[in-house]
Amino acid sequence: MIELANVRKVFNAGNPNEFSALNDVSLSISENRVTVLTGPSGSGKTTLLSIVGCMSRPSAGRVRLSGREISSLPERFLTEIRRKTFGFIFQQPNLIKGLTVLENVMLPAYPLGEKRSLLKEKAMKGLHSLNIGAKASAKVEWLSGGEAQRTAIVRALINNPTIIIADEPTAHLDTKLSYRFMEIVERFKDEGKTVIITSHDPLVYESSMVDRVVILRDGKIEGKPS
Amino acid sequence: MILHPTVIANLLGSSVATGMVVYAAYHGAQILKHWNLQSGAELQLVLERKTYLISTLLSYVFGLQLLSLFLFVFTADSLTPLFVGAMCAAGTLNVNGFGYPTLVLKIVNFLLAGLWLVLNHADNLGYDYPLIKKKYLLLVIIAPFIVLETVLEGAYFFGMHADVITSCCGSLFSSEKSGDLGSDLASLPSIPMMWAFYATMALTLLVGGYCYLKGKAGYAYPVLSGLAFLVALASVISFISLYIYELPTHHCPFCIIMQDYSYIGYLLYLLLFGAVVFGMGVGALLPFRELESLRGLLPALIGRLTFVSVFLYFIFTSIVTYEIVFSNLIM
Repeated sequence: MIELANVRKVFNAGNPNEFSALNDVSLSISENRVTVLTGPSGSGKTTLLSIVGCMSRPSAGRVRLSGREISSLPERFLTEIRRKTFGFIFQQPNLIKGLTVLENVMLPAYPLGEKRSLLKEKAMKGLHSLNIGAKASAKVEWLSGGEAQRTAIVRALINNPTIIIADEPTAHLDTKLSYRFMEIVERFKDEGKTVIITSHDPLVYESSMVDRVVILRDGKIEGKPS
Repeated sequence: MILHPTVIANLLGSSVATGMVVYAAYHGAQILKHWNLQSGAELQLVLERKTYLISTLLSYVFGLQLLSLFLFVFTADSLTPLFVGAMCAAGTLNVNGFGYPTLVLKIVNFLLAGLWLVLNHADNLGYDYPLIKKKYLLLVIIAPFIVLETVLEGAYFFGMHADVITSCCGSLFSSEKSGDLGSDLASLPSIPMMWAFYATMALTLLVGGYCYLKGKAGYAYPVLSGLAFLVALASVISFISLYIYELPTHHCPFCIIMQDYSYIGYLLYLLLFGAVVFGMGVGALLPFRELESLRGLLPALIGRLTFVSVFLYFIFTSIVTYEIVFSNLIM
């Protein structure tokens, strides 16, 4: 369970260009469910997602993860939580050019010090599960958009996170690949993972596998689950 | 004032350190007043972010503070040729009334800064800022001492006049005089002091070794560590210096930092001050062993501090013993 209590996020506080991205947001996100945060551009979806994923801190309010208060944690503890609890899928695949698909996938697991042979086995298994095992030794710049996206998904899963966070994952995918992505999300759900997605793509928030849609507007939660 | 590079370095270092400590103490007072981890208020989150800045800043400032003691003594030693009558740092420190008070404050602040660094390190181990109020309370206590030290140091350096005739260490630490601390310590009988030194060191090393090996922690070692520090300082003046100089009447604790004696004084004082800071650091952490977020972490840290302290006292005692055994002085 992820709980946000009265979360505010203000950028450039005290300056003429001060901008309040989130205003007093309180939200509970259930485990083993697919939750979509939707709303127009600038509504605070990505900001909320980055706070939930411990990538940024709120200006006020608290965030609890499985009952543990995490928004006050010193940075080195947040790194540990980010590494072990969350898997991130970004709008762009953000793969590192010059490295192979396999190396990109294994990269987030290096700080944990797992034996390389076991890690490689795990990475290959992940790549095969998304049908890109054959591309393991290919450089990432040679991949198509869909292959790059799937590589990013395998990378997000390499540390076996319990929560998958995806920020506008279908923004750069065509309809077929978007449906393919949602099939993968369904698999996450079946495996008992919690999935939080930001999207204003109807294909995502109208999908039958989505358990809850949270609508944001002007930094506030607007409506009830659809 | 004498415009010597080391004087400028001392004054510059102290001014920067004081400015930063005052800034940190102001924010430390805010943390003491408003800190409430249960609150999600904006002020609390600002304080949580601010404590990173303050503790990082202070880690460097107090690191500088530890070094400044040695820089100050080095400076006093370097200026010796400029004053009639001065033979070493002892004479230079006596050119006006602010030299020795500054040195005493430097020593006190060395110990306090060392303890703060130990507390800060322990606090950073916990996920819920377990010692935050304690460490900032200590900071608020330390800050006036740091300011006073800088004022006294400024008065000392700005009040230096080259036409002053000062006393040499032979007169300041003379066993034939009495009435001042240096001479009183120099007058202590050498052989009984030697027994007291070795008995204290043996007990300190045994208790420290026992605590480390058995994984036990108590106040016995920190207390003994403080006692060993005082006894060792008195012993340096009373008899250790005699063996290093190979002179039965020269008790100066400053000449041993000179090149003539291979700068051995710096090594001895570094070992001694390091040992007492780590030893007393153990005592500073003992009350917090049962805090939830530190319960699994503090015993290991206390063990490491005890080990380092014991090791430094052991090296100190070994070097002193070597100097005594291989000295040409026979008492």
